[in-house]
Amino acid sequence: MKRLFLLVLIGCFVVAGGLLALAQEEEIVEFYVRCWARPPMESWRGNNIVLAVAELNADLEAAGDPRRVEVNLLQDDPRDWGNYVTEFLLAYGVEEAPDIWLTGHEHIGTQAEAGRIIALDELMKEFPTFNLVIDALWDSTMYKDEIWGVPQDAEARPLYFNKTLLKELGWSANKIAALPGEIEEGEFTLYDMLAVAKEAVDKGVVKEGNGFWMRPKNGPDFTALYYAFGGDTIDTATGKLVFDEAAGLKYYQFFYDAAQNYGSMSCLHGDWSLWHGTITDGKVLFWVGGTWQWAEWAVEYLKELGGEAYLWENWGFGLIPAAVEGGKPNSLTHPLVYTISSQCEHPDLALALLAKVTNYGPNTRHAIASNHLGILKDQTEYKFYKDSRMLREALYMLAYTTFLPNNPDWGSYSTITYEALAAAVGGDLTPQEAVDFVVESLQRELGDKVIIR
Amino acid sequence: MKKVSKPERGTYPLSGLFRERDLLLRVRGILLPYGFLAPSLIIVLLFFFIPLVMVFILSFTNLDMTNFGILEWWRPTNWSLDNYVKIFTNRFFPKILGNTAMYTALTLAFFNMGMALVIALITTHINRRAGFAFRALWLLPRLTPVVVYIMMWKALAGPAPMGVINKYFLGPLGIGSGEYLLHMSPWVFIILVNGFIGASFGIIIFSAAIEAIPKDYLIASKVDGATTWQTIRHVTIPMIKWPLLFVTTYQTLSLLTSFEYIMLLTDGGPGLYQTEVWALTAYHRALSSYFGNIQWGYGAAWSVVLVIIGIVMAVVYLRVFKFGELVEEPKIDRL
Repeated sequence: MKRLFLLVLIGCFVVAGGLLALAQEEEIVEFYVRCWARPPMESWRGNNIVLAVAELNADLEAAGDPRRVEVNLLQDDPRDWGNYVTEFLLAYGVEEAPDIWLTGHEHIGTQAEAGRIIALDELMKEFPTFNLVIDALWDSTMYKDEIWGVPQDAEARPLYFNKTLLKELGWSANKIAALPGEIEEGEFTLYDMLAVAKEAVDKGVVKEGNGFWMRPKNGPDFTALYYAFGGDTIDTATGKLVFDEAAGLKYYQFFYDAAQNYGSMSCLHGDWSLWHGTITDGKVLFWVGGTWQWAEWAVEYLKELGGEAYLWENWGFGLIPAAVEGGKPNSLTHPLVYTISSQCEHPDLALALLAKVTNYGPNTRHAIASNHLGILKDQTEYKFYKDSRMLREALYMLAYTTFLPNNPDWGSYSTITYEALAAAVGGDLTPQEAVDFVVESLQRELGDKVIIR
Repeated sequence: MKKVSKPERGTYPLSGLFRERDLLLRVRGILLPYGFLAPSLIIVLLFFFIPLVMVFILSFTNLDMTNFGILEWWRPTNWSLDNYVKIFTNRFFPKILGNTAMYTALTLAFFNMGMALVIALITTHINRRAGFAFRALWLLPRLTPVVVYIMMWKALAGPAPMGVINKYFLGPLGIGSGEYLLHMSPWVFIILVNGFIGASFGIIIFSAAIEAIPKDYLIASKVDGATTWQTIRHVTIPMIKWPLLFVTTYQTLSLLTSFEYIMLLTDGGPGLYQTEVWALTAYHRALSSYFGNIQWGYGAAWSVVLVIIGIVMAVVYLRVFKFGELVEEPKIDRL
């Protein structure tokens, strides 16, 4: 009898143990992660998340949480934010939106307004690693006083110059080396730069049109120059977009002058490969580009000539010069941010993954490989970050940086202001006509959603 | 005893059967053509008519990236003529319209009709096999994937020393300074790129039509002492009037709505709207923009205007070519 009782007791334990094991069975949470990334330089944007999965699963196991995360990563370079955003929208429409979506910070306004991404303020409180992020960068993720994204990277948009061509123009090595400092002090202005560009054209150092270049099509860089002339894009009180007519006139006058009188701006042809090819062939004197392009030029265009060593030898960079002497030079940062879709069923785990990648190791890996600037406090003290010359030398630009506004109608605003710029460069519109065109078009398209000053 | 009466005329059971069969045959006769037409009718309905109605409705809305999934675009309360006002007050509207007209007219005149007719005439007047081989060769660009075809043209037009035309033709002749020819003369390349492909369609139709002309007419004209030009002018061309109308109309509509070659070649550049045509603007507004301000409603309005232009052009062609006379029964058959 005693033996039978013992057997029943053992049996009960076995059944109970089995039930407990069943209750503790792992629940697989499958995440879809979509990143804009140009391989191989920018692959860490997504690969860091993949690496973080094992660590998160270990955390979950230790905490007794039955959930385990698996990540499906899709990352490529769609070349156009329009396609990238449309893809997200259509995926959202059929309830297949990626759980984690990396995008430009300026898309936050549109997606937050439509309820496609979630506000992160409350969830973030449980992950103190986010306190590592440089405070100013959170501004780029704010919309209606809430945080909607986690900064992934930042960059500077310097004014690059070709040292070899400056030497041909008669500049000494010392004078060239002093140029970034002069720009920072506001002693070398945008029009000083155009004057040098004109001299280079006149002396046959570069061809007509190649004195000074911007990017070949619409994009964030132009806004930095509008800011340089005193322009503003957002009214902080109302959150509405702003166009400043006086600053706009100076801005369009500058580009009109550059193209018509200073042998510059033959670059707005829309062809990126031609743009990179001409610059890396050493045929352009000054141009505005991104710090991330330094890696692209070294790896994809100038590898045979020595890659980055060749760049340091022959090229230099500084801030975008001030518009007037003694003015403040600037740069523009366009942080990419990780957002979490409102269709994500486990936002706490998605955010836990983002907390893992928002740390010195993962972020520095990406910064070094892609020449994007760090986003964390004291990251310059981190051993591996410190070892990268480009990151070290460009970091001071963050103090001068500006942002695009987070507004749902920024796309329309940007298209209209760029059309006017391209028309001024092409000589189709005078600077005043360009301003009139912008005012008229903005009012027609955006109505009272834009303030004209 | 039951009286068996003679059935009245037309009330025989068998006669009823015949009547039912007649009815069935008549119904079948009516339905059968629709049955044959059904597959294409369904395709046209699903992939042309319904999308057209949707695009038409969308053109009255402001559906865009900011209100996608929120705006109830199908509700008439959300419809307005704003998009059309925006198009016709757009500063670049005349330029885009002019570009479209120039692109369509020049490509049609020089290639899709002109070159197609000349090549069809030549290849039907030479050795039959040689003519066939030449026409088959001309189809190669049409068989080549669009992106590959455009990349070949870009390589041809490239700057020195990589560009083929610069390196092997202009360079040795000392003409130009090795510029990117595509940026120097974008329209020349756009018309060539589209024309070489477009011409192949006309070549096939015209050569088939020319070969179908009874030889008696050609022999008779030669016996009467007509020169080759006179034979072409007074015999061949009048007898292929129908294919000429068809190719002109079809290719005009095709060119009006085509934009993919231009998009891949210049994307409307290199200057602002320099080579932007109407269909490309509709695409840019509705589906492509750097910062993602996709405006489906506005893009749809551009498309609807293009559909109206196309219909007007088709009606004009039918009048100019006297379509009514072309489809009349031959007078000889009326006798």
